[in-house]
Amino acid sequence: MPSVSKPAARRASFRWLDRSFAVAGGMAALVSFGLFAWLIRDLVRLGMPRISWEFLTAEVADAGRSGGIGPVLVSSVLILVCCLGLAIPLGTGCALWLAEYARRGSVPARLVTGGVDLLASVPSIVFGLFGMVFFGQTLRMGFSILSGGLTLACMILPMLVRTTLSALEALPADLRPAAAGLGMTRSTTIAKVLLPAALPGIVIGVTLGIGRALSETAALIFTSGYSTRWPETLSDSGRALSVHIYDLALNVANGGPMASSSALVLLALILVVNSAAVTLSERWLLKRHQTS
Amino acid sequence: MNAPSISLPFPADVPAGSPATGDATACLRVTGLTVQYRGFTALRDITIDIPEGEITALVGPSGCGKSSFLHSLNRLTDLVPGCRVTGSIHLADGTEVTHPKADVLTLRGRVGIVFQRPNPFPQSIRRNFEIPLREHGWSKEDIPDRMETVLRQVGLWNEVHDRLHKSAIALSGGQLQRLCIARALALEPAVILFDEPCSALDPLASGVVEDLIHSLRGQLTIVIVTHNLAQARRIADHAAVFWVRDGAGTMVEHGPAARVFSSPADPDAGLYLSGARG
Repeated sequence: MPSVSKPAARRASFRWLDRSFAVAGGMAALVSFGLFAWLIRDLVRLGMPRISWEFLTAEVADAGRSGGIGPVLVSSVLILVCCLGLAIPLGTGCALWLAEYARRGSVPARLVTGGVDLLASVPSIVFGLFGMVFFGQTLRMGFSILSGGLTLACMILPMLVRTTLSALEALPADLRPAAAGLGMTRSTTIAKVLLPAALPGIVIGVTLGIGRALSETAALIFTSGYSTRWPETLSDSGRALSVHIYDLALNVANGGPMASSSALVLLALILVVNSAAVTLSERWLLKRHQTS
Repeated sequence: MNAPSISLPFPADVPAGSPATGDATACLRVTGLTVQYRGFTALRDITIDIPEGEITALVGPSGCGKSSFLHSLNRLTDLVPGCRVTGSIHLADGTEVTHPKADVLTLRGRVGIVFQRPNPFPQSIRRNFEIPLREHGWSKEDIPDRMETVLRQVGLWNEVHDRLHKSAIALSGGQLQRLCIARALALEPAVILFDEPCSALDPLASGVVEDLIHSLRGQLTIVIVTHNLAQARRIADHAAVFWVRDGAGTMVEHGPAARVFSSPADPDAGLYLSGARG
């Protein structure tokens, strides 16, 4: 029988390499977790004392040094709603066109994907300036929740297009001939077969988008503005949570503690959205592959 | 579940692929069919009558155009960019399959297809029937009965009746293929095309599906592509042997299965069917 074993010395060095890889990986994981834990600990330590129902619902007082973040939370949610209201249909539609209608590699398809990818690499401050000029001035929306939400929609659009597109492209290729062979129209195939099958992927894209939108500051300063009043309509200016934190930390003397509390709320919000989305899409996946 | 008896729009005495039983009428009449993909000729000049209510097996080595032939029978070739089909295909009621303005969606309801790999929708078993049946105008109330009928017909009802709301994906390969056959049957087609329906299945499941196809004989017209010559011998009434000639797929032999398998006229077909070649 031919010997397949390597010389003992070489094997020993491989074993050493193996072990050091495991140790290095473990260290990196530990550092990553440590940073996260430290951040949370600090935020909780500095921000937790002021968190209360009162803080979440009261008006902003004394430039943010006292009172609560009620109007800011409401504005944030409204901005998010405007953002998703535009970005989800636009992103899904664009991805559907690319995946189902455009010819792979054709000039229009390449232009659209190229444009979307370029959009993804634009810094958010540029989106802010664009939003101010286009939505604020050209479309006369001024500093408003609508203007901020639409600007954010442009910003998260590439993410939605990309995730939806990959979800659609990852579907089994034989679903389309299966549907066609049953005499189904393309629109029924898309609406009743392809989109439901791609839904978990789309939800993940939307979640990433929500996370990005909630934490965005630069794109909102010039578009939805600073106002801390309770928003009454979408054309009112409204301050997003991230802008509030930025303002407290930078422009308001002794605003630090309130900034920490607001940051804690923002973090909790993002965590809730993320875990809800992950749970939902896992449940869908599970349901789809459920055995008896 | 029946190909309604119909008066033929073409004279019945036109010479055609000699029917096995003598009295079978043509359900599909294919004349001079040529299929090209961007200039490459996959299939050249096929003329054959497919007898109603019987099983026609298409055999031959890979790449000889059997699947192209099958897919042109219900216009699935439309899905392939750059695919050009010339010649004509008529259904017994006079519908011209190849007509540019043919109602392709209705046609595919009448000429169903089952693929090599089972391809259920990744949704519940029930939805797999609801989606296509609703598309073809069935009312919601009629769907459960229809679903039960065809699931019983494919012998799947007892296995799945208590989990119709669960995902179809969880079924085994053989069950999935029977589900896909049931889904095709649900639309009450006159013809079902089978594109190597057993070749992705284990031998046991393959046997079950083969028996099922055989049991459909007489209820509708069946065209089956198979690489399994023994299977073709067992179930086919008619056989057509495809072969590559001059760089294009063509039909070198067709007729009653018994004759084609026992004494093929074409030398290539003879070697292939005897297992000496291919």
